[in-house]
Amino acid sequence: MADRIIQLQTLVKQSSGLHIDSALLDYAGIIEYYPEELVMTVKAGTTIANLKKQLKKNNQSLSFYTDDDNISIGAVYANGGQDISDSVLGIKIIDGRGDLLNFGGQVMKNVAGYDVARLLVGSKGQIAMITQISFKVLPSVYVGELSAPKKSNHKSALRTEIEQKLKHVFDPKGIFQ
Amino acid sequence: MKVVHELSRVLPKGIVITGEENTRPFECDGLSVYRQKPLAVVLPENIEQIKQTLKICKAHNTPVVTRGAGTGLAGGATPLEQSVVLGLSKLNQVKSIDVENQLAVVEPGVRNIAISEAVAEHGLYYAPDPSSQIACTIGGNVAENSGGVHCLKYGLTVHNIESLKMLTMAGEELTLSRQDQGMGLLALMNGSEGLLGIMIEITVKLTPTPKLARVVMAGFDSVRDCANAVADIIKAGIIPAGLEMMDKFAIEAAEGFAQVGYPLDAEALLLCEVDGSELQVQAELDTVLKVLSSASTLKVSESEEERLNLWKGRKSAFPAVGRLSPDYYCMDGTIPRRHLADMLEKINQLSQKYQLRVANVFHAGDGNLHPLILYDANIPGELEKTEAFGTDILKLSVDMGGTITGEHGVGIEKLNAMCHQFNNKELEIFHKIKQVFDPDSLLNPGKAVPELHRCAELGAMHVHHGELPHPELERF
Repeated sequence: MADRIIQLQTLVKQSSGLHIDSALLDYAGIIEYYPEELVMTVKAGTTIANLKKQLKKNNQSLSFYTDDDNISIGAVYANGGQDISDSVLGIKIIDGRGDLLNFGGQVMKNVAGYDVARLLVGSKGQIAMITQISFKVLPSVYVGELSAPKKSNHKSALRTEIEQKLKHVFDPKGIFQ
Repeated sequence: MKVVHELSRVLPKGIVITGEENTRPFECDGLSVYRQKPLAVVLPENIEQIKQTLKICKAHNTPVVTRGAGTGLAGGATPLEQSVVLGLSKLNQVKSIDVENQLAVVEPGVRNIAISEAVAEHGLYYAPDPSSQIACTIGGNVAENSGGVHCLKYGLTVHNIESLKMLTMAGEELTLSRQDQGMGLLALMNGSEGLLGIMIEITVKLTPTPKLARVVMAGFDSVRDCANAVADIIKAGIIPAGLEMMDKFAIEAAEGFAQVGYPLDAEALLLCEVDGSELQVQAELDTVLKVLSSASTLKVSESEEERLNLWKGRKSAFPAVGRLSPDYYCMDGTIPRRHLADMLEKINQLSQKYQLRVANVFHAGDGNLHPLILYDANIPGELEKTEAFGTDILKLSVDMGGTITGEHGVGIEKLNAMCHQFNNKELEIFHKIKQVFDPDSLLNPGKAVPELHRCAELGAMHVHHGELPHPELERF
């Protein structure tokens, strides 16, 4: 498992342009799941169907909206939305320099450092390669009706400028496209 | 000082506070062991005055420390030498309430509890409830991503903010919303400790007030049984509205202070609150009581008065401990729930080692620990000993897969501990994120994220998320 990460780091270091998807990532599976923690830690290429299967055994459910069980958790994260952002607790990423970095964690409350795990939600795979995601889950009875994320189309010039600068922080050479 | 002179010249009378005596109330926040007088304190009455303040401070390259009510526990609002404190307490209006969509638009200086009071007539409230909620402001809550007793079920501040308006140090206005396309900038602002921008208007989500709430009090003969009961409740499929744990010392202190009927013979106490409709409460209560059947004492609140009474002990635990010692130091590590019992054991061993007493009060439901270390600042060296003890607890938290701070923030207090949780490359990313918003590093500089040389000087072995360097080596 660690080998695949080293391969991916090498790939990023040697590449001048990458489009990230689960095929490229080729990194799937559940890393840690303790039902009493209400937290799952998984490789980013793990399919939603696989997550649901594991959770069902413990009467637990995802607390974010998905409309396609065949896509990966990494794809849901990259597309973004209110409830996936609310669910995310931590991530491991490979940045544009090829460095493996860790932000957030596996606990519900965590205010050490900026919330990079939620900052990169909705970043469309264009900021960093997300390799691992920790997120909270709920007993099924506590999951209300989930609906597709609402997104506004408006983006201010200042916001666009900030996002470009933030991309440069994580991906100075502009590898992730 | 030129900057003070210019602030006083441009802003109306009474807005700029200067002088030894007048600035003294602002020399510290809730972490009162650290004190520093600022050049001046500015208490603006409107957004325009904030912009003027920023402009003048920027022109004079003067750092700005934003402050809400000053109740923070990590030194996030401690003034810096040669800084201006920007206090937002006068911006305290609830601007509008949208009952249908369960939202309220508020100014940053509105007190947390004042939001709930303002919307109570509509059967709504603002859910996050830090212990300081009668005093702390919503702007400060956003800056710290504050939690509270009820965040296990209702979320942290970040989950309850719909949108916000902020100013960058350059005075530019930025509106961030949960519905924005692109990166999670709104989430980034939560817990940014005044380093990225100044919150000037906040739209909070409101929650329908539960019809009924009841609390179960369970006393245990062993700490381990109590800690295991926490995991068992969650495993049974229940998410309590609150799930709090206290050890024997904390029980004794709280009972001595508040006389609420806690069992003094118990080694550990659990308070488990369930809320919702009558039906829901009954169903959850049945499950909780079944899980807790091995407790040595078991009691369920039969009235609202009794419920509040049982909480009173827990809520007064800090002042109760304060009565037993000249000073106490409150930690905020968070760990996966399954390690609660081990952590308590290790804290007790450290207590022996350092010869300092500890009272343990936990937000057990979300693994957030608040060990209170008792010490006497007048005894030379005892504060340093206490801080070393605290750092040991935080390192343990990280090694167990948790974090050095669950809800209080890093501020100046946990800068060293940050070196243990993050490596240089991660810390560098944090510094660069700040540069995006504040290129001259004028907003609360030096707080929240340690400089790399500080970590190098500490020289501690870096254990990253429980992954030891050279895991093949045996360690004892």
